[in-house]
Amino acid sequence: MKREHQEIGGDGGGGGGGLTGMVGGGKGKIKEEDDEGVDELLAALGYKVRSSDMADVALKMEQLEMAMGSNAGAAPDDSLIAHLASDTVHYNPSDLSTWLETMLSELNTPPPPLPPAPADRHLSYDLPPAPAPAVSVQSSIFDTIAPAESSTITTVDFSAPPPPSARPVTGPRVSYGPTETPSDLTGTRERKRMRSSSASSSSSRGGGVAGIGSVNTTTTEASSISPAAPGPTVVIVDSQEAGIRLVHALMACADAVQQDNMKAADALLKQISVLAASQGGAMRKVASYFAQALAGRIYRIHPQQDCSLDSAFSDILQMHFYETCPYLKFAHFTANQAILEAFAGRRRVHVIDFSMKQGMQWPALLQALALRPGGPPSFRLTGIGPPQPDNTDALQQVGLKLAQFAETIHIDFEYHGFVANSLADLEPYMLDPNRTGGTVAGADEEPEAIAVNSIFDLHRLLASPGAIEKVLGTVRAMRPRIVTVVEQEANHNSGPFVDRFTEALHYYSTMFDSLEGGACSGGGSGGAVESGAGQQQDQLMSEVYLGHQICNVVACEGAERTERHETLTQWRSRMVRAGFEPAHLGSNAYKQASILLEFFAGGDGYRVEERDGCLTLGWHSRPLIATSAWRLADAAAR
Amino acid sequence: MAGSNEVNANESKMAVPLNTWVLISNFKLAYNMLRRPDGTFNRHLAEFLDRKVQANATPVNGVLSFDQLIDRSTNLLVRIYRPTPIPDTEDPQTSPSPATSSIFSSLISCPSPDPFPVIIFFHGGSFAHSSANTAIYDSLCRRFVTLCNAVVVSVNYRRSPEYRYPCAYDDGFTALKWACAQPWLHSGKDSKLRVFLSGDSSGGNIAHHVAVQAIESGITISGNILLNPMFGGQARTESEERLDGKYFVTLQDRDWYWKAFLPEGADRDHPASNPFGPNGIDLRGLPYPKSLVVIAGLDLIQDWQLAFVEGLKKADQDVKLVYREQATIGFYLLPNTDHFHEVMEEIKCFVSSNC
Repeated sequence: MKREHQEIGGDGGGGGGGLTGMVGGGKGKIKEEDDEGVDELLAALGYKVRSSDMADVALKMEQLEMAMGSNAGAAPDDSLIAHLASDTVHYNPSDLSTWLETMLSELNTPPPPLPPAPADRHLSYDLPPAPAPAVSVQSSIFDTIAPAESSTITTVDFSAPPPPSARPVTGPRVSYGPTETPSDLTGTRERKRMRSSSASSSSSRGGGVAGIGSVNTTTTEASSISPAAPGPTVVIVDSQEAGIRLVHALMACADAVQQDNMKAADALLKQISVLAASQGGAMRKVASYFAQALAGRIYRIHPQQDCSLDSAFSDILQMHFYETCPYLKFAHFTANQAILEAFAGRRRVHVIDFSMKQGMQWPALLQALALRPGGPPSFRLTGIGPPQPDNTDALQQVGLKLAQFAETIHIDFEYHGFVANSLADLEPYMLDPNRTGGTVAGADEEPEAIAVNSIFDLHRLLASPGAIEKVLGTVRAMRPRIVTVVEQEANHNSGPFVDRFTEALHYYSTMFDSLEGGACSGGGSGGAVESGAGQQQDQLMSEVYLGHQICNVVACEGAERTERHETLTQWRSRMVRAGFEPAHLGSNAYKQASILLEFFAGGDGYRVEERDGCLTLGWHSRPLIATSAWRLADAAAR
Repeated sequence: MAGSNEVNANESKMAVPLNTWVLISNFKLAYNMLRRPDGTFNRHLAEFLDRKVQANATPVNGVLSFDQLIDRSTNLLVRIYRPTPIPDTEDPQTSPSPATSSIFSSLISCPSPDPFPVIIFFHGGSFAHSSANTAIYDSLCRRFVTLCNAVVVSVNYRRSPEYRYPCAYDDGFTALKWACAQPWLHSGKDSKLRVFLSGDSSGGNIAHHVAVQAIESGITISGNILLNPMFGGQARTESEERLDGKYFVTLQDRDWYWKAFLPEGADRDHPASNPFGPNGIDLRGLPYPKSLVVIAGLDLIQDWQLAFVEGLKKADQDVKLVYREQATIGFYLLPNTDHFHEVMEEIKCFVSSNC
């Protein structure tokens, strides 16, 4: 796809991004597919229908109405309606034409006789609804399993310094094998025979429902709904006057900082601390973090100490965040759903995880694959992570645990860890099975289906010019079947400092409020019941985790500012530019995510929403994270 | 009965522009899938299909919006729409993110000396569908701001069948009380809350009942604006039989929604659905607000709506009826007919003359 303008927010300079509203806004926007001729009135209400298609869409509606018997005098066809409502997977309701076609194609395949067994049986394979024990790393499953003998685990370190004789290395240097390798894990291994299945189970019932969603014309929502850049979404949860004054003072302080009026900023900081002290709950905490970050910026306290975390500590904080609130669980769950659908019918699969950390996402996927009709594929996992300061091989440890788990559920499992300072250090050849010593498919075997997964990691690349393009190019070169991306749904990367500050203030206020108000129902982990103190610690660590993000967004600039969150609309532009097209998440994923939320978080204020084929999780009316899935835009990918 | 289906499609297609037909038919189709014969509702699919928009603190066409949680115990959210604030005369260039900052400034500000109307809006959806952040209603509320130079408060009331009568009314009244307690919503030399209650379909029904409760609480409402308000009764009226299934709506679906909203075991002569029916109350002598009631001539429940207007008249209440003979339900969702434009003018006049 033609690139029409510079990378967004790629410059590491302060405040001067100045491209607010460019992406997804009016001019300068990448023309995606074909959003010309869309009926503007309907577009403003969330429906994309080309004017030239209007009559055809109307016709489809009439056909459906007739089939459903939904007019007076005709007996409604309850079984068909139930089928369309419960069994059919719906995708991207904004695209009326395709939505209708999907349902019409259901008409051609007669639905099963009533009653279908469980009301929510789906066409595609779904994740088990309550993977709680498997998901928590802290559960005892891992500790009691004997080491796997049939898995391969290797770690490749890309961050090792070059030997003195080499010139400064621009590319990574590969060194094989960690220093301590359990002897029973390396070396050649036999390829386990796949369990044979008697019947092919990969075809979905009904003609028209694509397993991963139909190819839709994608138009960026902002183009039709509003020409201006969508501003911050403000949800006021605390209406007390002191709280409002606090927010106002924080914004005034940010403004003073931008004006370089440090005297006023300093005075405001003092006012803020007084106001914050009189607050309680989420607002006080958020205000403290923002005030602290502003102070860091004002007094030029080098924020490296505060804002950057060593990766081990960061992992620990993230685990607490995982336990406290549903955001990460949602991210893993929805990404896994997309991956599961993409892997349907494939016998060899390979997941490349850019966000390996503690590997919490993978037990659930392994479990789902083990349970799928026709049996599990052979599963290869490549985990990528940063170097550890104390040289422990964290990636190795995680891989070992996952291998043990895979063994217990009889999945042929292979693991490779790659240590890299930055995702931009990766090259496609590094992940090639030939290179890493993994088992290569024989001439007759199908090639492996690859999924690339990134959870809250891609935005870091925006701190280095060219990095995101390189990484997306590398991903593309791997010819993945699916790419899953979860990112914060916020624009913390463009416009002047004050805009970024304001956006972040509203974003994190909402996020902190959800930690407070979202029933800390023990995080829902099915294993040990959390004590009150344990819950409190989880919450505190989650706040620290978020606090570091706040500090980074507010106090850092340039290469240090890695929390460069961008919105779904902006990520869509990037992905499309890089040669990907959306793979839609459907009503089945939506429903299961919603049910999971009710299970983990007691419902409360959490909301799942569908937008342009992606799913977002938010608190009340403010989406906070977005899961999207992508595949290669050229047909050859399939 | 394929023949009658074709006739129905042709009739409704002739009554509205094609894109309107597509919009309303889309809802009809989707809603048919969501209502289950056993009275339960497919809420997950409903929320998946619903097109929502986020609040936007940056003004778009002169209107900005933000959400506020006004009751934590019921998670009651309202979406507030305002005209773009006039920039701070002190230092317009350097005001921080003017729109967002002004939101917070205004929340703690004193009543404005210049009077402005506050329109509390209850979205439609037959008590079961839609939300305050549903795109069609976000769009409509924005129009009201510009039309009437008003602050609009759209209430995200609890819906049936999960929450039956009287939850929606309770939420409506909670929103009204909340508005009464906001100094920044008061205006004019007398620092009054110049509040109008409005809504379409079930929202119109809610507006009426909240107005009644307001009387009981001594709250003064400047006016009611009801667009195709949803009323019903046990009897079958002539318009219901004549128009059943002809213009997007069937008697069967109306029955379903009442059954989902009214208390278990109640029939449609319950005062909620039939306020001037056998179980209705007498409004004579009570300070019920002036009403503007808009009825679409192709709406099958118009006999009940007309009965409502009659009921108000008999109780000596001030009511203006705007009857749009050729209009269908939902005409106010798209600005592409005379019905739309002329009714908007009526609303504008009504608000300005009663503010």
